[in-house]
Parts: sequence; C-alpha cells; structure tokens
Amino acid sequence: MESTERLVRTWMASGRDEEIGEIVSDISNDRTTLIVIVKALGEYLTSEENDLRRKGVELLSLVLEKCPPARLTRQSIRVLTPFYCGKLDDSETIVPALQGILTLVKLPTFGAPEATGVIDALFLYVKTKSLVQSVRFNVYSIIDSLMARHRDALKALGKKFVGNYIALAEGEKDPRNLVVAFAIARVILIEFDISEYVESLFNITFCYFPITFRPPPNDPYGISSDDLRAALRQCLCATPLFGPLAIPVFLEKLTAGSRATKKDTLQALATCLPIFGSALARATARKLWSALKLEIFQPMDSNIEEEALKTTQILVKTIYHEEEAAHEHSEDIAGLARDACEECIQILREPEKSMAKPATKVICAFMATTPSVSRYTVSLAVPHFVKLFLNPDEAANRAPILHLLSDIVNAARDSVAGNVAEDVPLMPYKDEVLGVFSVGLKASSSRLPTLSGLKGLITTKTLLSDEELGFIVHNVDEIIEGGTDALEESSDEILDLLTTIASIAPHHIEEQTLPLLFRMLPDVAFSRDAIKERANCWRTLSALQTLCVQPELFETLVIRLTTKLDLVCFPANGARVEIVDTEPNAAYAHSILTTISNTLSTKVEKSHPDVGKYIERLVPHIYNLFIFSAFGSDEQRLLASDLRLVHVAGKIISLVVQTLPPQRQTTFSIELFKALLDGQVKGVSQGHQKIPSDRKFDVLNETTQKNLLPLFTAAITSLHKEVPLPVVDLGRFLDSILTWTLLQADNGPQRTSALQMVSSIVNKKVDELSSFLSDKLDVYWPQEVGDVTRPAESRHRAIQSWLWMSKALIVRNHPLALSFSERLFQVFDDEAVGWDAAKACGEIPGTDTILTKRNHAVIKILYSQKYVNTILPRLMEGAKSSSKSNEQAAYLVALTSLIKSTPKGTYVHEMPLLIPLLLQSLDLPDANIRCNVIGTFLAVAEGETPSKSLVSEHSSTLVTSMLKNSMVSEMPTTKVRVFALQYLGLLPNIVRYDVLHPQKPLVLRELAKVLDDPKRTVRKEAVNARTNWFKYNG
Amino acid sequence: MAGEIFNPNPVVFSPAKASGKYSDLSAQSLWLRDSYEESDGEDDGIEEIDQEEIFDLIRAIYDPEHPNTLEELRVVSAPQISVTSNHVNVEFTPTVPHCGMSTLIGLSIRVRLLRSLPNRFKVDIYVKPGSHQSEHAVNKQLNDKERVAAALENPVLLDTVEKCLSNVGAI
Repeated sequence: MESTERLVRTWMASGRDEEIGEIVSDISNDRTTLIVIVKALGEYLTSEENDLRRKGVELLSLVLEKCPPARLTRQSIRVLTPFYCGKLDDSETIVPALQGILTLVKLPTFGAPEATGVIDALFLYVKTKSLVQSVRFNVYSIIDSLMARHRDALKALGKKFVGNYIALAEGEKDPRNLVVAFAIARVILIEFDISEYVESLFNITFCYFPITFRPPPNDPYGISSDDLRAALRQCLCATPLFGPLAIPVFLEKLTAGSRATKKDTLQALATCLPIFGSALARATARKLWSALKLEIFQPMDSNIEEEALKTTQILVKTIYHEEEAAHEHSEDIAGLARDACEECIQILREPEKSMAKPATKVICAFMATTPSVSRYTVSLAVPHFVKLFLNPDEAANRAPILHLLSDIVNAARDSVAGNVAEDVPLMPYKDEVLGVFSVGLKASSSRLPTLSGLKGLITTKTLLSDEELGFIVHNVDEIIEGGTDALEESSDEILDLLTTIASIAPHHIEEQTLPLLFRMLPDVAFSRDAIKERANCWRTLSALQTLCVQPELFETLVIRLTTKLDLVCFPANGARVEIVDTEPNAAYAHSILTTISNTLSTKVEKSHPDVGKYIERLVPHIYNLFIFSAFGSDEQRLLASDLRLVHVAGKIISLVVQTLPPQRQTTFSIELFKALLDGQVKGVSQGHQKIPSDRKFDVLNETTQKNLLPLFTAAITSLHKEVPLPVVDLGRFLDSILTWTLLQADNGPQRTSALQMVSSIVNKKVDELSSFLSDKLDVYWPQEVGDVTRPAESRHRAIQSWLWMSKALIVRNHPLALSFSERLFQVFDDEAVGWDAAKACGEIPGTDTILTKRNHAVIKILYSQKYVNTILPRLMEGAKSSSKSNEQAAYLVALTSLIKSTPKGTYVHEMPLLIPLLLQSLDLPDANIRCNVIGTFLAVAEGETPSKSLVSEHSSTLVTSMLKNSMVSEMPTTKVRVFALQYLGLLPNIVRYDVLHPQKPLVLRELAKVLDDPKRTVRKEAVNARTNWFKYNG
Repeated sequence: MAGEIFNPNPVVFSPAKASGKYSDLSAQSLWLRDSYEESDGEDDGIEEIDQEEIFDLIRAIYDPEHPNTLEELRVVSAPQISVTSNHVNVEFTPTVPHCGMSTLIGLSIRVRLLRSLPNRFKVDIYVKPGSHQSEHAVNKQLNDKERVAAALENPVLLDTVEKCLSNVGAI
C-alpha cells in the first residue's frame, strides 16, 4: 500500500518508465491492486490543477497498457469503463482517457454493456476536429475494436450510431486514420441499416476518390497510396445503394482525370459494377461505353487501354450475365453488346487503318464475357473478315485482314479455354476460316499472321479433325518445298506451328514433313563457296532439331542422320571422287552431329524416358565411326582428326550415358575400359564400318588416335559414383593419365580432356584415393610445379592438373581442398608461372561442364561461397600489401579470375573494398582480365540505384577508364570495348546526377569518336551509351 | 500535344523482321556455331556504316501523333536512305500531305542521327518529293543548321523530340 503510494508520487514528479514497470510488476505479483492505485491517485484525479489531473489519468492508462490482461477482471472493467468515459468530458484528460479505453476494449473481459457506454460517450464528448492526429487515431482504433468484438451491440444502437459516426468521421484527412476509417465504413455499409444515410455515407467516402496521396520520402508510417486505394475501393463497392450516385462521379473522373486517376477509376469501376447490379449497368451502359471507348481507341498508354478493356468486359458480363439462360442458343442479342460490336465492325471495314487494331481488341474482349455475347461477336466478326478477304477490291489489305482474323481466332480459343464441355464458338465457321488461311499462307506478305491464326485453330480443343490437321501440314510443307526465302522469313513461326502439330498428331509430321526435310539434305557437303546452299542446309537441320523431339520422330531422326553421316564421312566406292578440300565435309558432319546432340539435350531437359535406349544403337554407332576413321586413310580420318567433331560426339555419348541406371553403366564401363586400356573395341563399337582386326587400337599412344580420348572422357565422366571402374589400382591409373598429360598429349584439348577424366574420378572416388592425394601434395607439387628448373611449359601443364584436382575436391567441400589451393600461392611471385597459378587459383570454384549434377558429380551446396570466404580476404590483403610488383599483379589476376568464376552473391559484401583493387587491375595489359573486371562491374550494377550506389565515389575514375577501354586505338579487343561501353551507358542509371554530371560533356565528346568504330556491335553500344548520357538530366 | 490531329486513322504496316544479318555473317563460315560457344570474331575487317544500320537507328522513333513507330507507318524505310563515304541522305514520307508534324518528325530523325553518327557525316533530310504540300519549306527548315540549333534551344520542343526518341534503342 505504502510502496504503491510512494511509486505513484515519484512518478507524478519524474514521469519515468521505471516506476510504471515497478507498479506493473507489483500487480503481477499480487503485491498491489488497481483499486489501491486508484486510491493512491485519488487526490490527483480530482485536483484543480489541469496538469495533475492529466498526469493522474495518464499513469492509470500506462499501467493498464502494460498490465497482464488476467489482472483486469470483469469487475474492474465495469468500474474503469465509466470512470474513463467520464474523463472524456474533460479536455485535459481526454487524451490519456482514450488511451486507457483503447487498452480496455481489446480485453476479452470487456463486455457489450461497456461497449455501448463507450460508444455513447465517444459520440457525446469527442469532437474530432479539435484533436490531433494521434488522438483521432485512437478514437478510430477504439471504434474499430468495438466493431470487431461487439458488432451486435453497435447494431443494437440502430440508425443513431450510423448518423453519429458520420459526424465523427467527416473531414478526416490523415492517411493513417483513413485506413482505419475506411475499414469501419465498409462494415457499416455492408452490415448496418444505412437506408437513411446513403448520401452522407456516399459523401464521406467518395470525397476521397481518387486517392492522390503520395507518401513522403522515407515515410515512417509505411502507408502507401496503394493501401489507401485498396481500402477505399472496398468502401466504394460495399453497397449497391451507391450505384446511381457513383456512376456520374466515375464518369467525370474518367474524362477529366490524369493517367493515374483514369487507371484508378477504371479499376474501381471494374470492382463496383458487378455489385451495383445489372439494372444500373444496363441503364448507364451507353454513357459508360462512350467513356470507355475513348480510353480504348485513343489510349494514353497501353496500361490504361488494357484496364479499359477489362472494365468493358466486366460491364458486358454484368449486363448479360442474368439473362444468359434465356439466350441459350440464339445468336441474336440486344443492347450494348450489339451496338458496340456493330460499331467496331463499321470501323473494321478499313482493316488496314490504325483504328482497326483497338476495334479488334474490343471484339476479342467481348468474346471472353458470356457465351451468348461470345457467340454473337463471333457470328458478326468472322464472316465479316472472311467476306472482306474474298473481296477482290481488298486484295491489297489481305495481310492486315489476316492479322485481325488471327487475333479473333486466338481470342475465341481463349474464351473457352479450360471449359471443354462448352461448344466451340468457331465450329460453324471453321471451313471458311481454314480456306482463307490456306490462301493466306501462299503469299509471303500475309504468311506470318496466317501462321499465328492457324496455330490458334490447332490449339483450340476439339475444333479440327485429324484430316484437317493433315491438310494444314500439307499446306505448310508446300511453303518449305516452294523455296528457301520463304522459309528464311518465317521459319520460326512455321516450325512453331509444326511442333505444335507434332505434339498433337506426330504421324502427320512423320509422314509428310520429315521425308521432305531429309530429302533436302545432300549426301555430300556443299563446296566452300556455296554459301546460300549451306545456309539452307543448316536451316533444314535446325528445323529437324526443333521438330524431332517426340520419341517416334527422334528415332527416325537418329536413323536417317546416322546413315547420312556414314555417307558423308565414308562415301561409297562409286561416288569417291578425289576430294581435295575435306573441310566442308567435316563441317557438314559436325553440323549433323550437332543436330543430334542438341535434340538429345532438349529431350534430356524434358526427361524423356527414351534417351537411355540409344546406348544400344546410337552410341556404338558413333564409336564405330570414329574408331574406324582413326584407322583410315588420310581423307577417311576426317572425323578423328578434327577435335570439333570429337567434341560434339562426346556430348552425344555423355547425354546418353548420364541417363543410364548404375547397373547398365557398370556393364558399359567394363567394355569401355577394355577399349581404352586393352584396345578391344568390339564391346563399344558396332556399325557399318569394319574395323581392321590386324591393327591395334591404342588411344593413349597412337598419334592418330589420341584425339579420340574425349569420347572416353565423355562416357567416364557421366558415370554414377557407385559404378566400379575396372582398373586394378585406381591411383596408379590416375597417375598414368597425369603423366600422359605432361609428356604424351599432343595438344591442349587432349590434355584438358584427360584432366577432366581425372577430375571427375577424383570427385566421385575420393575415398579410395587418399594416398594418391597425399602423394600429389608431397611429391607431385614440389617436383612438377615447385621445381624452377623444370621447363615453364611443363610446369604450366602441371598447374592445369592441379586446377582440375582442386576443383574436384572443392565442389564436394573435401577437407584437403584448401591444402590444394594453398599450394598455388607459393608460386605467385614466380616469373614463369605466377600468373598461371593466380588464374588457376581464381578458376577453382568456377562452374564447368564436367562436375555437374547431371554427370552425377558429388556437389555440396554453397561450396563456392565457402571457398570465396577463405580465399578472397587473403587475395585482397595480398594485392594491397605485396611489395613485389609481379606478385601483386598475380594477386590482382587471381582476384579478377575468382570474381569472374563465382556468383555475385559470394563477393558482393566485400564490394566497397574490392572496387579500388578492381580499378587497379583495369590497368593490367591482359584483355581477358579487363573483360572480367568490367563484366564484374556490370554484374554488380544490377539492382543498384542512384540513391544507393557502391561505385558513386569512384565514378570519375570509372568514366575515364571506360572511355579509354572503348577507343579502338587504345583497346584492340572488340569484346572489351563493347563491355566498357555497356558499363559507361549504365553509369547514369546508377550514380546520382549531382555526382556524375561534371563528366557529361567529356563523355559525349569522347563517345562521338567511338561512333566511328570499325565494328558494328561496338557502334551500336556507343550509340546506346551516348543516347543515355544525352538523356541524363537532373 | 497539339489540339489538332492531322491524321486520326493512319494505315499501319507490320514491321519487317529485324535485318537478317545473322544468316549473312554465319554463312561465311563453314562451321555451324554451337549456341553455347561464343565466337570472338577478332578479325580486323572494317564494317562500314551502311543503309541498314542507319535505318536501324531511326526505325523505332515514335510518330508524334500515334503510338506507332515511323517504320510501322512507313514514314521511313531502308531504301529511302543512301550512304556514301561521308554523306547520308534520308528521305521520309509524311502519312498525309497536310501533315503539320512533318517538321517535328524530320527534327527527331535529325537529332537521333546527330547523336548517333560520327561527325564526319553530313546528313541531309528530305521529305519525299510530292508527298507534302509545303515540301520546300519543310526541307529548308530541316537542313538549315541555325534553325535546327534554334529549335533545339526550345525546351518544350526538345521535350517533344525526346518523347519521340524514348524507345529508339529497342532494336
């Protein structure tokens, strides 16, 4: 008792939170009660002094706010509520009293009688106009709480409540309060009897429409204009009684308003119309339509046009929805839809004019409303276009007519999408439309829209019969056959159409189109100067690649193309002429293999189940071709001698082997290693070419065969990790391969291929290789890399091996991984291999095509993050503090290569410190490094804004450097120039005007020179960059 | 925007596909390029600025009256452009002979080329002969350095030009 009194007295003097806290904890621990506090407050509550009375009530309210709800019993609330209500009358105590009430109304023990009391007192005493925002906010919050918990009590107050509330809320302006007020208003509008107050309620809601409030910058209250708009819209559409009053307001705002107002109005109309009801919609249809029409035919922007179309749709739906049943099967319709449609058809008599487009949009929009309107519009529009098309006077306008017709066809399809039971609106007209399209297909000018229309027909469910699909394929094939120019112009669309048909009825494609395409492929490559023929041939192949994804079509493709490959590589005796120039043939074979590989890759992405079966035919066939070729005479060695061919063949093998289950891979790998190590090729190779049995196949040692190694690497790297490799000692096998790369391999690709094999095996079988790995760290590194007496070339190769082994360990977060990368730092200061080591150090976490999930490599998530976190700080430190200039350069090289090979997220937090170093590395003479650096700047720029930019303080250095790198006289590499210009063009978007604008004259002047760059791509970037700088104004 | 609309419902043409340079270029190589392999193309060949390139610069300029590009309205087309070593000649066709926007269209083309072509080029811009009622006056206005410069000093006019040029880099 005494302590409470003491605390109360102290607080009255100090106003500190501590006393409140103590009182609350006393209450919680039963050391005092609310009664005691009120008693202790007694003298203050009745004091003559305004300040004391206010503070007295405030103390009580503060205690209540913090007090555990369980302590506030029914009884105490019954006492406290009238007490507080009384305090509302006093202008000194109203503020803390409202605060107290707000706490009370939220309590579960707060009852309906108290609710009525509070509301009455609020209406009686509170004059919102004389209160500040935060206090008014409390008033609204109290009403909102009561609305949520004691709605029935409020309803029981009857009309009086509505009237009083209107008086209270009228004139509110603060957005924070309005959000609450709108929520209250919506409940009143929906649930209360408002018949006498419609107009007043209309006034206190519609006066806010449209919302023009824009939150201040760095708005602390977090109320956006969208919040307000949404809350208000819920009020506007709350009752149909608003309808007659609202429509004129909407119409007025629509015609007079700005862009934002128009959009808001259109959206509000769209929400309100269905609620206002069909009678009103019908009565105001004409006025609404003439306003909407304006927004569609002369739109301020495409956004508004779209909204206007949506609103029109809703208007039509609202009008016709009810009478739908009556119109079940009739095609005639009265009212707005009829008038508007006829109006549009009138406009569409000139299909080539610009108004035709919006008119068609309106018609298309109508189709997606109700079935009867849809039927009616189709019956009007489709015959109109057909007639127009057949009219000889309009022959010149066939292209635009087809354009519009195909829009209609597509809209008709979408109007019944997902609703198969409904009858297809186009059905009665399909013969005519198909006829028009088959004519349209023949002229090149009208081909594109026709193809789009045909696609619309095909994708309309249940519309076309199988014969009709065949008819379309036949017509399209005629274009392909007719000439290549046609195909060039619209090949994408033609293929798209055929692919669509292939997914519905593949047999048409197989029977009609494929034979045609295969016929177009020659048996011998075109000569070097037959540029046009070759381009056509590629187009044919790319068409096949797109079409033959379906299993049955793909099978045909593989059979036909592998046969072709046999013919191209090993022409039959009769046809053998002395071919002097073998390159065209090799290139042709390459394009055939690429076609197979790309198609397979698409199939793998779609996880087609038939990929695996090609291990039986396609893969052995490829081994057969290549192995035979390696044994052959010079001109037969076409395949084996060109690494590009081997590479793409390897891709095919890899794509197939990846998809096999481990058991099948195991049997395959036994045969594979027999061929690789013992020269027994029978198990992997089958095909038309007879491989001589008297000569030994030895891929690792025979000069003519070494190029075939990638075919084996491709298969081995695709194996599951549990597939056993049939070698006696895995470590020794890997050692032999490593030695091979140092001593025997003839070229870079052979070495890389061997190292990829090693990398993949190390990654998957690391548990069996611990002694191999420790040997590498202790023996291999000091001998092959550390030993400066070795030739630089050999050390360089050893570093490459090191890179690939480190990669294998890093991606699986192996404990030894960092020991491997650590070694590289040792040679950073080495004149001969420092840069190689630095580059390798950065490249370790980069992604590659070998260590992938598809190849069943063991990959841990965030491995590159982990690597960067360890290595990056070290590199930055080294680049800053290294005293030797070549070592410092090596650190910079490593830094740029690391950043290039890891995702932005891994290093972006270090960016402020990195930028100076990156700028420094822009001075390194290596074009590749500069590319990486500018590429990094470009990547970092994504998501930057002028108000928050990392590069701001370096912008002038960046401008100078980018300008230098964009001049052909300074930088011969096109790619660097393009990158530099891209970044230069981006700078105005990410740096504040006041920081960057002094550079503007310089940039414009210097870029004028770059406009004369010898390369078209560079000029294009220069134009874009310069345009952006011209537009750069504060 | 001006109160009067000179041609409320002009004919719209569908634009041609972007120029087919890809096929020309790649056909010169024997090898089909894989999509994933980037070619460096580091040859020293000089690619001259040609008709096509200049057309690419101006095709996406918006008509001041309509949300359509000059290409869609066939105001400009590639054959109407000629380029010699240091001289560019651009001819354009107003949609109607009384079009009051012709000067503005010509000015937009001029500004775009001024910003996008090297200084060594002299650019002449003409209305297609016989396509405009005050052809001579428009031509004179567009090719008079002083008058062009004066026009660009006018902030309202410059703003309108900028609007026409708002999407020129899209192609």
